[in-house]
Amino acid sequence: MVDEDEIIRVAELMKINLDDHGEHVSRVKKMLEYFDILDQIDLSSEEITSQEKSLTELRKDEFIPNDKKLIESLKNFREHYVRAPKMN
Amino acid sequence: MNLNTSILKYIEDVKSGSFTVEEFTAATLQRIKDIDGDIHAYLSLNDSAINDAKLIDQKISSGEKIGQCYGFPISIKDNICITGTKTTCASKMLENFVAPYTATVVNRLHAEDAVITGKTNLDEFAMGLTTEFSAFGPTKNPWNLDYVPGGSSGGSAASVAANECLASLGSDTGGSVRNPASFCSVVGLKPTYGLISRYGLISYANSIEQIGPMTKTVKDSAFLLNIIAGQDANDDTTIDSNNQNYLENIEDGIEGKKIGIIKEMTTSDGLSSEVSTATKDTIHDFESLGASCEEISLPTIPYTIAAYYTITSTEAGSNLARYDNIRYGYELESEGYEYNSYISKSRTKFGPEVTRRIILGGFVPSAGHAGKYFLKSLKVKSKLISEVNNAFKKFDYMISPTAPVQPFKFGEKIDDPVTLMLLDYNTVTANLTGKPAISVPYRVVNGLPIGMQIMANSLKEKSLLQAAYALESKTTLPEVPL
Repeated sequence: MVDEDEIIRVAELMKINLDDHGEHVSRVKKMLEYFDILDQIDLSSEEITSQEKSLTELRKDEFIPNDKKLIESLKNFREHYVRAPKMN
Repeated sequence: MNLNTSILKYIEDVKSGSFTVEEFTAATLQRIKDIDGDIHAYLSLNDSAINDAKLIDQKISSGEKIGQCYGFPISIKDNICITGTKTTCASKMLENFVAPYTATVVNRLHAEDAVITGKTNLDEFAMGLTTEFSAFGPTKNPWNLDYVPGGSSGGSAASVAANECLASLGSDTGGSVRNPASFCSVVGLKPTYGLISRYGLISYANSIEQIGPMTKTVKDSAFLLNIIAGQDANDDTTIDSNNQNYLENIEDGIEGKKIGIIKEMTTSDGLSSEVSTATKDTIHDFESLGASCEEISLPTIPYTIAAYYTITSTEAGSNLARYDNIRYGYELESEGYEYNSYISKSRTKFGPEVTRRIILGGFVPSAGHAGKYFLKSLKVKSKLISEVNNAFKKFDYMISPTAPVQPFKFGEKIDDPVTLMLLDYNTVTANLTGKPAISVPYRVVNGLPIGMQIMANSLKEKSLLQAAYALESKTTLPEVPL
């Protein structure tokens, strides 16, 4: 059984403001309770498999020029820089 | 002008001079203007569609080399980027995001002279099954405006069904192409993982999602797949399509083929009686086409929904971290913020379903919980892949209804997250295993569509489309009542 406090703790770590989203805790709890079905399957002989690609198969890691004016479309663009919000 | 036509018939008609590309495009845009206020399939329209059509007409009249599409109108799900146009993912977070580059699939369509009509509605960030989670309001089902069109590619499916374009591109993470295709009575194909480039598709769950065509006919899906499939240097997960011509031999039939009827998907408690009857009739149809049908049990299927939501939420939690209000996201005023509240503030722009997935995506892989949820889900995925691969040693195809139920009314299931999740019950297996699957419109009962799903082994799209075409040829469906 999942404790709602645990969900709230994770939500806070995920930077979800529960003042706005508090009603979701009970719905997430319902979903997690449904996931308990995973306890019923025997996976003792299963390995986690994944697909791999060798580095030689990947495209070259090279700079692809883009339209340099892109940055100018940002709302807080100032001549040569982007003004970010002040952090306290 | 008859807008209820296939891509292939349209191309014939343009070639024979029955109408120009501009005339057809103009009629399509007029149709959108006339009915999309009710349907809400589109989030934005391509302002240059008429100009694009004129340019293609000029190419045709001057004898210049013309692309295979001959200017047929196609809509694009609004989580696929097109340079210089808004790509919102139906989220307030990206309400004003203008894509700086174009997705490979759209580049390939442009190269073959398709005309993009606009961007279609979806559940926010493609998370949902009804389009009710779009931040800009739901899309209505063209078969009955009181009913959901399915999702997440509900706008794409509705735009095709309502003759607001001839085809659309959707994306399918757990059934998001096939489910709305079933609900709106169009063809929806989820290809083998890697067959179609995801470059330019805004990421939700990278390890399983795929772009897929949504069309009026099976042949049109084969035609579109010919254009958009294949390796892409910008997506290292793409695989070689070996330049297959998916249209060639599509009418070959399925005589002698072996079909597995997936027990867990055709006898589940959630299956409606109408869908159950349609499934039995589908089996008879396949047998009358010369295939042999036999029940197959895949015992891992009851665990797939939990595994699917665990894996996708984990990937979504990571992918959505980029909407930090600095590189992406809406732009706050440059006042002072405390760091944590700054990020939290930007995240209030996510809608309810996305917020839930972020919380889930933080919970299931976290220390103390990963063993119970995430790692176990990856093992379920491995077990399922083995089961399905074994089944395909015996069978050419496996079938089930695409969705366990027909379309339902708005608001009917939105308050029950578990009921909503279970709508994906028949579709997530193809995603978790990377296999191709297609939804074929099969029947309309009480004015609402039912689609049938056919799944094949990896890279067997050609064979899959032959089976889909064979089934389609057994159906006679009414026209959409609009």
